[in-house]
Amino acid sequence: MSHAQAEVTQAEASGEYEPRIVAFLCKWCSSAGSDLAGVSRIQYPSNATPITVPCSGSVSPMYILSAFKKGADGVLVSGCHIGDCHYIEGNYLARRKIHLVKELLGMVGVEPDRFRMSWVSAAEGAKYSQVIKDFVNDLRPLGPQEKLKADRS
Amino acid sequence: MEKILGKTQIDGWIAALSGYEILAPAVEDGIWAYKPVNGEVRLDHGNTTQPPKGLSFPQREVFFSFEQIKGEPPRLTQKLPDAPRRAVFGVRPCDGCGAVRMDKVFNDHVVDNYYQARRSNVAYVGLACNKPQGSNCFCLSVGGSPVSSEGMDVLMTDLGDRYFVAALTETGKALMAAGGKLFSEPAAADRKLLEQTHAEAVAHPQRAVNNLDTVPAKLKASFNSPLWEELARACIGCGVCTFLCPTCHCFDINDENTSASPLKGNRVRTWDNCQFPDFTMHTSGHNPRESLGSRLRQRVSHKFRYFPENFGMPQCTGCGRCITECSVGIDIVTVVNKVTEHAG
Amino acid sequence: MIAVQDIRDTARDLLAKNEVRAVIGYRRGTNGMFAEPVVITAAEQADQLVWDPTCFHNLSLYLVEDRKFLKHVKQNPDLPIAIVAKGCDARAIVVLMQEHYFERKNVYVIGVSCEGTGMLDERKLASRGIQASDAAFDGDDLVFATAQGEQRIPAREVMADRCLECRTPCPKEYDALLGEDKTGRELAEPFAALKRFEEQDAVERWKFWERQFDRCIRCFACRSVCPMCYCDECVVDSISFPVNAQTSAEEKANRVRWIERSAVRSENITYHMTRAIHLAGRCVDCNECERVCPVNIPLRLLNNKMEREAREQFGYEPGASVSVPALVASFLDSDPGKFIR
Repeated sequence: MSHAQAEVTQAEASGEYEPRIVAFLCKWCSSAGSDLAGVSRIQYPSNATPITVPCSGSVSPMYILSAFKKGADGVLVSGCHIGDCHYIEGNYLARRKIHLVKELLGMVGVEPDRFRMSWVSAAEGAKYSQVIKDFVNDLRPLGPQEKLKADRS
Repeated sequence: MEKILGKTQIDGWIAALSGYEILAPAVEDGIWAYKPVNGEVRLDHGNTTQPPKGLSFPQREVFFSFEQIKGEPPRLTQKLPDAPRRAVFGVRPCDGCGAVRMDKVFNDHVVDNYYQARRSNVAYVGLACNKPQGSNCFCLSVGGSPVSSEGMDVLMTDLGDRYFVAALTETGKALMAAGGKLFSEPAAADRKLLEQTHAEAVAHPQRAVNNLDTVPAKLKASFNSPLWEELARACIGCGVCTFLCPTCHCFDINDENTSASPLKGNRVRTWDNCQFPDFTMHTSGHNPRESLGSRLRQRVSHKFRYFPENFGMPQCTGCGRCITECSVGIDIVTVVNKVTEHAG
Repeated sequence: MIAVQDIRDTARDLLAKNEVRAVIGYRRGTNGMFAEPVVITAAEQADQLVWDPTCFHNLSLYLVEDRKFLKHVKQNPDLPIAIVAKGCDARAIVVLMQEHYFERKNVYVIGVSCEGTGMLDERKLASRGIQASDAAFDGDDLVFATAQGEQRIPAREVMADRCLECRTPCPKEYDALLGEDKTGRELAEPFAALKRFEEQDAVERWKFWERQFDRCIRCFACRSVCPMCYCDECVVDSISFPVNAQTSAEEKANRVRWIERSAVRSENITYHMTRAIHLAGRCVDCNECERVCPVNIPLRLLNNKMEREAREQFGYEPGASVSVPALVASFLDSDPGKFIR
C-alpha cells in the first residue's frame, strides 16, 4: 500500500480515530481530478477510498446508504460542474437526488456533515485535495459513525 | 399449589423474583408489547400485538460463525444463545396454547438446541381472560378456552381485587414460593368465585370456526376449489398474519458475511413467511404457489389440516391477531367456514 | 353528502352495459366495522358496495395487481376496469400512468369526493375508548354505532392526519365524479405532523428513529400495500428475485445483497430510507403504509419529508398531471445547489 495509506492504518492500529471516507467520483471529471492531485504530488490525507462511477447521476441512494452501513464515517459524491457533464444532464439529476438523500439523512438525525457533494473538474487537482482535507477535518470531531453501521459481531 | 394474591401485592411478588428478568405488557408508541418491568406492572392489556413466541424463537438466531483459515477447512464456532432466565407476565391462554404448539415443532421428537436453550429459560405466568379480549377471539371453537392453562407455568385469574394464582409446573411452584407470605390460602369463597368467573368466561359468546372436527377432511376435499382465489382476492401477500401468529414458525437460513478477506461471517436463521411471493420459488424459476389463493390455502391448511394430521391438534389457537391486523380484511374464521360450507 | 346508492348505480350500470369488465370498490368486511376491498364482475353484485369512513384502502393497488395478472396470463382485454377512487387514490392512478404502468383507456375512474370530511383514524377512535360496530358519514360528523348507543363525533377530531392535511380531497382525474369538489377546504396545515416532528433537535430525532427501526419486524406490509411499490424485484431485499429457467447461475450467485434478512436496526434503516427515496415525488400520502404497520412505525413522516422537499424545493406535486416527468428524472436550473462544494 502507499506510504500515506500506511500512515492511516498505523494510526488506526494504535487506537487513534481516523475517519474513513467513501468517495464516489465521476469518471470524466472528479476521478480525473483526483488523479491530477496525485501526479501533481499534492499532499492530502489518504482517508478517502475512491470509487469511480460513470457519472454522479448514476450514484444510487443505495450506494450511499450501503457505504454508511458498512461503517463509512463520511460519504462524498463528486461530479462535473453544472453544464459540463459528459452525459449532458447527469449531474443535474444528481443534484436533485443527492439533495433528497441529504435531507432524509438529516431528518433521521444523522449528522449532516457526514454526507457531502462537490463539483470537481478534471483540472481541479488542488480543489479535490482541499475537499478531502476539509472533509477529514470536519469528520474528526464527530467521531466514528455508529448510527447506520451494521453490527459485525 | 393454589394461592390468593392481592392486586396491590403483585409488584412485591415481582420484586421477590430475583434471578429472573421480568417481562410484562406495556404500551410503547401505541401498541402493547412485552417489555422489561420498569416500575409498576400493568395487567389491563387486551393482548399484545406480537405473541411471546419471539422469546424462544427470535426473528434472528445466529447458528454458528465461520472463518476461513488459509490452507485449512473453515473454522465453525457454534453460538448457542446465552438466554437469560425470564418470567413473562400477563400471557393470555391463546398464547400459552401457542407455546405448546411451537414446542411440538422445535422441542419434541426433534429438539432444536437454539429454541430449547431459550425456551427452557422462559416461564409463562398467564392471565386468564374473564371475557374475550377482542371481537376477533375464537379460542373456544379451536379446542382452547379463555381460562386454559395449557403452556403456562402459572395461571392467574382476576377476581376483582385479587388474583387466584395456580402453579402448573415445578417452575411455577418455585416462582410462587419466592413470593412467600405475599400469598395467602384460598378460602371457599375464593374458589367459588373462581369457578363462577371461569364459567362466565367460557359462556361468553365468541366468533366460531364451525365443526372443527370436520374441517381437516373438508379442507382436503376443497384443495382445488376456486373459492381460494376468490377469498384471497383482496390479499396483498404482506405477511403480517404470519409474523404475528403465535404458532407460525417458518424460517430461512442465510450466511451473513462480516468480512470479505479473510472470509468471515455468521450462519443466521430468520423468520420467513409463506405469504411472501418467493417463499416457494424454485431455482428453476417454477413457483408452485405463485397465486395468492394458493398461499391463503397453504396457511389455512397448515393451521387446520396439516398440523392436526401431524400433531393431533389444530395449530390455530384463536387469538384473532391475523384478523385484526390484516391490512385488507382477510378473515380466517370466515375463510374456513366458507370453504367447509361449500365442501358440503 | 354522497349517497352510496349513486356508487352502486354507477357500478351496476357500467357492468350491465358491458362498458367495464370489473369494478374495484369497497364492501363491508367481516372484521367488525371495517370495509374491505372487493372486485365485482357482475351487475347484481353492485349492491355490496359501501362508502363509509372505513374506506381507507388505496384501491389503485388492485389496478397494479390486475395489470400484473394480465401480464402473467398474457392477455390484453379491450374493456377497461373501473375503480372507486378518492382524491388520493386518483393521484396514485395518475402517478402509475405517468410511469406508463397502464394507459388511460385501461381504467375507468369512478371519482368519489371526500367533500369536507375524510377517513377515520382507528387509533384516534380507540384512544377515546370507543368500540364501534358501525361507522358512517353525516355531514361534518362521523356517526358510530356502539354498545352504548349512537355516538356522533365531529369528523375533524377522529380523521386521519393525512386527510386533515389533504389538499386534493376531490379527484382531478376521473370518468365519473360523485360529490362536491371542496378543494381548498384546508382543515390543517400541510405537513403539520412533519413540522412538529422537525422541531426536535437531531439528537432527539435519532433517538426516536432508533426506537422505531429497532421495532420493525420487516414484514414488508408497508411495501405490499403501496401501489407505487410494484417492482417485481425489490432492489433492497433478498426475498423477491424473479428467477426463470433462463436465469444463469452467475446471475443468481452475483446478485447483490444490499440488506440481510435479519430485522436489525441497520438493515431496517436501509430498507425504509431506500423506500422513502424511491417514493420521492411518487408518494400520494394515502397513509396506507403507516396504517398497516403492525408495530406502529410512523412511516408517513419519512415519506412526507420527501414530499415536502419535492413541493418546496422543486415545485413538484405527485400525481398532479400525467404529462409531467418523474421528480428524479427531471431538473430545473433553479434546483438548490448551495450545499455542493
